[in-house]
Order: sequence, then C-alpha cells, then structure tokens
Amino acid sequence: MFEYLNDSTTIKYIVTIGSMALFFVGLFGLLSQKHFIKIFISIATMETALFLFFIGNMFNKNFTAPIISEGFTDIAKMNDPIPHALILTAIVIGMAVLALGVSMSIEYYKLTGNTDIDKMNEMRH
Amino acid sequence: MSSILFVALPLLFGFVTPVLAKLGKDGVAYASTLMQAFLLYLAFSLLSGDSSHIEVISIAPPLGISFTLNSASLLFVALFTFMMTLFSLYYLSHRKTDAYKNETKFFILINMLLAASIGLVLSSDIFNIYVFFEIAGISAYILSAYEKTPSALEAGLKYLITGALASVFLIFAIVLIYMNLGSLNLGVIAQGFESLAFNTKLLISLLLLIGFGFKVEIFPLNFWVVDVYQGSSTLINSLFSAIVVKAYLFVFFHIAYLFLPSAEFSVFLIYLGGLSMLVAEIAGLRQTNLKRLFAYSSLGQVALIFTAFALQNRDAIQAALFIVLAHSIAKAIIFFALTSIQKEHKSMDIETLKELNSPFLRAIMLIAILSLLGIPLFAGFVGKLLVLKSLAVSGFIGVLVIIIIASLLESVYYFKLAGFMFAKGEKREALEIDFTQKLVFSLLAFLLLTIGTMPFIFSGFLSESASVMLDSSTYILNLMGGR
Repeated sequence: MFEYLNDSTTIKYIVTIGSMALFFVGLFGLLSQKHFIKIFISIATMETALFLFFIGNMFNKNFTAPIISEGFTDIAKMNDPIPHALILTAIVIGMAVLALGVSMSIEYYKLTGNTDIDKMNEMRH
Repeated sequence: MSSILFVALPLLFGFVTPVLAKLGKDGVAYASTLMQAFLLYLAFSLLSGDSSHIEVISIAPPLGISFTLNSASLLFVALFTFMMTLFSLYYLSHRKTDAYKNETKFFILINMLLAASIGLVLSSDIFNIYVFFEIAGISAYILSAYEKTPSALEAGLKYLITGALASVFLIFAIVLIYMNLGSLNLGVIAQGFESLAFNTKLLISLLLLIGFGFKVEIFPLNFWVVDVYQGSSTLINSLFSAIVVKAYLFVFFHIAYLFLPSAEFSVFLIYLGGLSMLVAEIAGLRQTNLKRLFAYSSLGQVALIFTAFALQNRDAIQAALFIVLAHSIAKAIIFFALTSIQKEHKSMDIETLKELNSPFLRAIMLIAILSLLGIPLFAGFVGKLLVLKSLAVSGFIGVLVIIIIASLLESVYYFKLAGFMFAKGEKREALEIDFTQKLVFSLLAFLLLTIGTMPFIFSGFLSESASVMLDSSTYILNLMGGR
C-alpha cells in the first residue's frame, strides 16, 4: 500500500500542490484577518509554505546527505546543500522579523488597548 | 578590500559600542560620526582615483558570494556615506538638547541601516540582496517605532507588516530562480534567464516587482508610506527619504537591467511610474500636515526617478541619477529643517510655518523647495528637464503629459508652502540654530545650487555611471572572471 509514494515525481507533485495551497491559506488569512497576531501568523504561514515548496522540490530521496567524509567519492549523488543553507538563513530572518512584530504589537496594545489593524488610525486626528 | 569595509565597518561598530559606551556619554556618538566620516573619505578617495574603479570581490565564483564596486555602485555608496555623515553631524548638535532615549541602540541602528543600504547596492548575489533587504528593513522598522508613542508604533507596525509581505514575495522569486537556474549569482542568472520559458520569466519578474514594489514605493503598493513618514520621528524621515529608498531603487533597476523579460515589461514600468507620480501629487494637494505633505512629495519624486530608470537608455538613467542626487539633498534639508522647527514649535501643522521666525531656515527651505519643484538654476531642474527630454525622444508623449500635469499639481502645494513661509503675521521669538547645523544646511544648499548652475561638473561621471549600469555584459564578464 502507498508504494507510489516512493516515487519521487509523485512526492514532488504532492509537495508542490500542498505547499501552494498552504501559501494561499496564508494569503487569505492576511487579507481577511484584522488581529495583529493573526496577520503575523498568516505571513509566517506563507513563508513556511515557500520553504516547504523549495526544500521538497530540491530534495532527492535517493541521494545522500551533503557531507564529505573519508573515502566518499560519489559527489554526483549528493543532495544540493545550498537550498538548505538558504532556507535556514531565511527561517532565522523570518523569525527575527516576527518576534520584532509581536513585541511591537504588545507595546502598541499596552498603550492603546487596540489589536485591530483597521482601527490603527493615530494619524488621522 | 575596500568594498568590504563599507559594509563591515558599520556592522562591526555595533560590537564595539559596549566598550565605547564605557568611555562616557559622548563616546559612541563621536566614534560613530568619525567612522562614517572615514567611510566618506574612503568613498571620495575611490571617486577621485583612477577612472575605471571596478572591484569585484568574489569567493569561488559562481557559487560564492560576491560584491561588485563599479562607477554606478560607487556613486550610490558615496551618496549614502555623505548623507549619513551629515545626518550624524546634524544629530551631534541636536542631541545636546533632544537626544533619543538609549542612544547607544540608536547609533547601532543607523549604522546597520547604512551597512545594509550599501550592501544592497554592492551585492552581486541575489540571496545576499535578500539578506541586506531584511537588515535594512529590520533597522528601519525599529527606527520608525523608536519613540514608542502610539503613532510611532503604528508606523513601525505598518512598515513591518508590508516589509514582511514584500520579503515573502522576494523569497518566492529567489526560490523560483534557484529551482530553474541552479544559481544565486546575478551573472549566472542573467546569462540563463533569457532561455527560460516565457511564463516562468513573467512570474519571476512579477514577483520581483511586487517584492521590490513595496520598498520602492510604487503605486499601488505605497499605501503605507505616508503613515510611516508621519508616525516616525522627523529626523529619521531624512534617512528613509535620502538613503533607504534610493538603495532599493538602485538594486531593483540593477536587477531589471540584467534580466528584464521583454520590452513590453519596461513600457509597463514606465506607465506605472507616471501613474504613481500623478496619484501621489493629487493626494498631496489636500495635506495639512508637513510630514505627510513631504511624504507625498517623496512619493512623487521617487516615481519620477522610477520612470526615468525604466526608460532604459543612457540619457534617461543619467537624468535619474541627477534627480537621485537632487532629491536626496533637498529632502535632507527639508527634514533637518522640520526637525529644528518641531523642536521649537511642537507642531507639524502647515500653519506653524506662518509663525516661523528664522530667515536662515526660510531661505534654506526655499532653496530645497525650488529644487524639488525643478526651477532653473536649482539641482532639480537639470534632472527633470533631462527626463522630459528623453521621454520625448523615446516617444512616450502620454507619460510626458502625465508628468507635466503632475509637476503642475506639485507646484500648487509647494507654492502654498512658500506662501505660508513668507506670510505676514504674528511671529514667534527667533529660532536659534547653532553653528554645526548652519554648516550642514549651508553645505547642502550650496551643493543644490552647484548642481543646478554647473551640472557639467557632474554630468561626466553620472553619464559614465549610467552607461556602466546599463552595460550588463561587462558586468557579467567582471563577475564571472572573479577578478
């Protein structure tokens, strides 16, 4: 049962469709939600969907981990390390921005008692 | 080695600050200004050195990261270090009475902003561009919310949400580029981009346009800009307007020249720029808050620069570079002057200009406004004339008309401002401006007049920068040669 999941093409289809669905879930959340924290969750969802999309598509099940050890010669059968390094960096940056955003919204809530992005109108009066 | 210094020194400065802070209250402030002045000296010594100034630092091309310093990026590096040094000089005298809280943090942030803006301009690697994009973003969000008042936090939050969204689209573009071309190096991407399927090219270009569109303040992705300008402190706005936008503009068009999918796309960009300018100037007409008004004026000028860059020929890019210089200098004057006014009057309503009692500030602001407006003998005129000329030569008469209408609308509110400045009525007591600030203002105003009356001093170098910016084959060759 489920042998077809071993086929890397099938996995790539699943990853692509699934991650794009997740991306649009995030986009929908961003456009429909008004609460700061929910907006940050939506943005994080969109980012995560892209990370999944990238890693899932660049990963080959039959290849080895990109670690060069003693006696290892088959470099052609190694997974590409760049996507992983790239996504690790992007995750860290995304996390930092998210933390900054949440802390700013907490400060803002303390001062105004407001969590609704539509009611942010300090400038209009 | 020098191009790494421009990025590394301001970033490393952050680590030295705890030690410098022990030296006393002023240690960090003076050290930061000195470091920026050193970078300025470095940039100008490169400018006045031999004519080629090409430096490519590349670790194991095409895989490693690389920096490219050529005439085009050097111009922007020199502009940024110059603006930042003057900002620090102004702040050194401003802080005697109105220092920011936690000044050490403030200096770390402005240096991060400088390093990231320079990094954006120098990077020849699309993932590095993303990293600097985020560093510039994060420091700008914090600077925007620095005063922690409700309006500052609101500005910071709006900036952060749009910035995070922009970076999602940028990552999407980078991911697609890597999946299709297997490289992050701009040279390799530029070589392979032509061979991609049309749909892929279009998707990547649109994602890049959306990602950078938020940051280069182009309609309809610029809804956040005015609120951010109004909520942030006035002094910080000078950095946003003089440095940050210009870095994003440069990097966007730098990428666009290397791999633009088709000629239709650049026509689309030209119309987008014209439309943005018109919308910004129409919205600017009704504003009564000075910061908001100048934010709209920034949007208009940036859209004009965008149009000129999008024309994609040497004369137009030279014109764009002229406006970049004129706009950065004029906006620095305006926001420094507004900071001085706000300190005294505690208000940013347009009516406060009536009570302004400082002939010096009035004269300086008038010079800046006339330059923004594009009156002959002021710096803004040269750029605007050249843009209009190249639009006419390229046959975009529709955009030409739109820009002329937008400029007329612009002149309505600038003349309204000037009217308020010279209105007769009750004045406050004289506004004191100390010597350093006068020096900064005079230097900037002098530069505006110099560019306006003697553009030929600059046109040689700007024209060279423009052709270097447009010449992608030499750029790719230098980058891949790993020299």
